Amino acid sequence: MTKRILDHPVLGKLTDQHPVPFTFDGKIYEGIEGDTIASALLANGVRTLREHEHSGNPRGIYCNIGHCFECRCTVDNISNVRACVTPIEENMIVESGKKQPDPLNPNNEGTLPRTYKEYLEQGGDK
Amino acid sequence: MHDVVIIGAGPAGLAAAVQCRKHDLSVVVLDEFPKAGGRLLGQLHEEPNGEWWNGVKEAGKLVQEARKFQTEILLGYPVHHVERLEDHFVVHTNKKTFPAKKVLIATGAAETAAPIPGWTLPGVMSIGAAQVMTNVHRVSVGERGIVIGVNVLSAAIARELQLAGTELHSMVLPARNVVSDDQSNPRVVMDRLSHIAHLAPSKFIQFGSKFAKFKFAQNIALKHYPKDGIKMWDMPIHLRKAVKQINGTDKVESVTMVDVTMDGDIIRNTEIEVPVDFVCIAGGLYPLSELASVAGCPFKFSEELGGHVPIHNETMETPVDGIYVAGNITGIESSKVARDQGTVAGLSIVKELLQTGDVRDKLEQAIAQVKATRDAASIQFHPEIKIGREKVERAFHEQHA
Amino acid sequence: MQQLIICRCEEVTLAELEETAKQFNCTARELKLRTRAGMGFCGGRTCRPAVDKVISDLTNEHPTDNVPLKVAPPVRPISLQDLGGGGNND
Repeated sequence: MTKRILDHPVLGKLTDQHPVPFTFDGKIYEGIEGDTIASALLANGVRTLREHEHSGNPRGIYCNIGHCFECRCTVDNISNVRACVTPIEENMIVESGKKQPDPLNPNNEGTLPRTYKEYLEQGGDK
Repeated sequence: MHDVVIIGAGPAGLAAAVQCRKHDLSVVVLDEFPKAGGRLLGQLHEEPNGEWWNGVKEAGKLVQEARKFQTEILLGYPVHHVERLEDHFVVHTNKKTFPAKKVLIATGAAETAAPIPGWTLPGVMSIGAAQVMTNVHRVSVGERGIVIGVNVLSAAIARELQLAGTELHSMVLPARNVVSDDQSNPRVVMDRLSHIAHLAPSKFIQFGSKFAKFKFAQNIALKHYPKDGIKMWDMPIHLRKAVKQINGTDKVESVTMVDVTMDGDIIRNTEIEVPVDFVCIAGGLYPLSELASVAGCPFKFSEELGGHVPIHNETMETPVDGIYVAGNITGIESSKVARDQGTVAGLSIVKELLQTGDVRDKLEQAIAQVKATRDAASIQFHPEIKIGREKVERAFHEQHA
Repeated sequence: MQQLIICRCEEVTLAELEETAKQFNCTARELKLRTRAGMGFCGGRTCRPAVDKVISDLTNEHPTDNVPLKVAPPVRPISLQDLGGGGNND
């Protein structure tokens, strides 16, 4: 399990943490003020933040400073938000990135949007 | 329109902003990270004088100084383009665009990856990721991990993880593949460590003194490298062991470690599985110059500086009129050098915009300060940094010839 | 033995790069375009040095002073809405 580093021999104690509740994939978690989505989730033992859109392989943070985009999630209905550079806010709704249907698979014919209008009708950016 | 848009709120960007604001230029500093300070944030090591260098505190001092001069710092603003128009620039972010007379690109460095089979599993992260998680966000990255890649940066951060109570099994090399190359060659790694060790802080000295300075002695040391590694702060550093694979289904569960020869070749039938719940990959740093590239800056390749750097002169000007660079984008060095380069860039912009000779002396002093700081640096990433600097400087003058 | 992924975003493996280079006898640029190595979401920030290394080995094109993988704006992903001026301008 991962945990908060409450006491540090050089950096000192973490005091007066202000709790910030948010949800990730429907489950309620608590971070502290100043957390990013990634740090709040890791403090709660959550490592997997998305599935690779094509293969479905699990991914978590890699660079943690906004360079690699591996931690991208959907935040309050905005997709592809980097968990590692986004501060948590009270009652934020965070959803993990999901595997996407393969447009070249014949079984998906007729189910995927063909136009922007169809895309919006099927839920659009959500 | 702003006089100056500064991209990057690290030591270079903030120091430059302070100089510009002192001379009352209109300045905005942009950064995509939610906290100002750049990669100063997270640094934590003991200086040779025994004092702690605490990056979070140092960043705080710089931010305070910038705020004292009413500097506008916008965080959470990712810049995606620097557009060059006839007589000014437009800096594009995902939120807003910023027209500017001058642009300082101080985007720092990015980590070089050392790809290893299994490195996309959750729980595998860059060494810098672990540093930020531990010292900035105060979250431990796991119960027991391993560091793959032995270099000055990974040794410093491994110590930081230990300080925070995070257990490390050891530091080892990446097993040889087409990408890891030098990083997986014990001879090269030892040679690099022996060059930097004499400059480094307290415990590094003891660590480094075990790596002899002379090639023949290095060979002997590698040949008889202790089976349980050389210990630094009780953590084994292995130059004759390498990780060839990271294992797990949904997250990291273990690594497969092998013994390697003095040249880094894998010795057969030496595989052992080491259970870990996190892995830090340390492939070093390279200058993050993509915005300089889209702005049209010409480049020079310098291994000493860490890769491709935008050509610039001592006053941090690029051959593209109005574009300045400072910090790790100009070569991988310590945050103190970055800060001092930022001061130079700031003064250089002031001199140009205000067309005043008043700052000439200050600029000269600031340039001298960069050199003094470089000479006194306790951590140096490449032993031949000065050669790299000279190459780039020469390239600038060739461009102007 | 697991596959060695070089480009994480597009999950391009070393084997894929090697096979493509062999099959098409490509230049560095063509190899990137064919495999999409370094052309994913992160814009190549993570794998750029690794891809350059593999490709210079495979194609015998060695690093010059020019940045090997051409950088084009935007250097961060941006939604079409934002790119189209959905944001505010100064």
